Amino acid sequence: MKAPPVSADAPAPATSRVYMPEMGRGWWLRQRHYFLYMAREFTAVPMALWLLWFLVEIQRASNGPKGYYPHSSIGFVVFSVIVLGFALYHSYTFLSLAGVIIHIKGVPSRLIVLSQFALWLGASVVIAAVLIGFAR
Amino acid sequence: MAEKRITIRATRFDPDKDTAPRLQSYDIPFSDESMVVLDALNHIKAHVDGSLSYRWSCRMGICGSCGMMVNGTPKLTCNAFLRDYWPRSITVEPLQNFPIVRDLVIDMESFMLKLKSIKPWIIRKQDYPLGAGEHRQTMEQIDEFRQFSECINCMLCYAACPVYGLNNEFLGPAATALARRYNLDSRDQGIKERLPVIANAEGIWECSFVGECSVVCPKGVDPAKAIQQTKLDTTMRFVLPYGNREE
Repeated sequence: MKAPPVSADAPAPATSRVYMPEMGRGWWLRQRHYFLYMAREFTAVPMALWLLWFLVEIQRASNGPKGYYPHSSIGFVVFSVIVLGFALYHSYTFLSLAGVIIHIKGVPSRLIVLSQFALWLGASVVIAAVLIGFAR
Repeated sequence: MAEKRITIRATRFDPDKDTAPRLQSYDIPFSDESMVVLDALNHIKAHVDGSLSYRWSCRMGICGSCGMMVNGTPKLTCNAFLRDYWPRSITVEPLQNFPIVRDLVIDMESFMLKLKSIKPWIIRKQDYPLGAGEHRQTMEQIDEFRQFSECINCMLCYAACPVYGLNNEFLGPAATALARRYNLDSRDQGIKERLPVIANAEGIWECSFVGECSVVCPKGVDPAKAIQQTKLDTTMRFVLPYGNREE
C-alpha cells in the first residue's frame, strides 16, 4: 500500500528511536484461537498431497481397467483416513464461516450456515451414490 | 484486615537508554473492586513512578486511546477490571505489532496513514448546495453500515492480527471495516476511489481470516466480516457482467 500524499502542513516525521518488536516463530502457540487457525490452514497440505496421489492413480488407470490395480497398502489406507479427517475439519470450519462471508438481506447468518451444511450433505450423498453405482 | 494488593508488571523502554523493553513490577493497593488496569497505571504514575508513559483519555471506552496488551491479550485498559485477574499479577505491555516509542506508548503513524488512504468520508460525484436539502436515508439503509461505524480506532484488532504482525504493509482490520462502512452508505459514491487500496494484494487479499480481530474488538464491530464480505463483493464486481458499472 502506498502512503497518501503528505500535505504541506503535516508534522515532520518523528526522528527519535523506536523499538521494532518482531513476532517469534511460536506466535501460533500462544493462543488457542491462533493454534486452531494454523490447524485449519495446515489441513490443506495433506489434502493437497492426497490429491496429487489421486492424480497419479487416475493417470495409472488411463489405460482402462485391465492391468490397473489400485494402491491398497495399509499405509495408504491409514493416510487416506487421516486425510479424510483433515478434509472434514477443513470443510466444517469453512462452512461454519459462510455465515460471516455471505450477506443476504433479511436472511439470518445461521440459516445461511445451515443451508451450506445441507448442500454439503446433499452433494456427498449424490457423489457417494454415483461412485457406488459405477462400482457395481 | 490487611490491605488487598496487586502486582502490576509494566513494560519500560527509554529510547535514549535501553536497547530493548523490560518489565518492571509495581506492588500497589487494590482498594476498590471497580478498579481497572488504567486506574492501576494512574496510581503508579501519581504515587510510585511518575516517569511511566502511556496513552489514555476518556476512561469510558469511547476514545480508544488506552489499548494495551493485558496478560497477552489486546484490551482497553479502562475496561479491564483488576478483580478479573487478582490475586494473579497483571502484565501490561504496549500493543503488539507496533513500534514502541516509550514504555507503553506505540507509534501509530502507520495506522493513521492506512486510515487516511481509504478516504473515510462521504464521496459524492457531484456536490449539491446545502440549500438543496439533506441526503435522506431509511433505517434499513443505516442498518447496512451501522456496526462498522462503531469503530473507535483503538487498534486492538491490529495487535490481535498475526497477518499484520508478519506484514505491516497489510491494510488491516479497522481500516477495511471503515472502508466498508462508507462503501455501504447509500449517500456515498466513492467505492471506485477506494478499490485500488482495499482490493490490492496488501488489502483484503492479504487477510487469511484468522478472525481474532473481531474477537478482541471492544465495540462489537466485526472487521473480519467486513474483510470477507468485501472479498466477495469485489469478486462479484469483477466476475459479473456490468459488475464495474458506474453507480
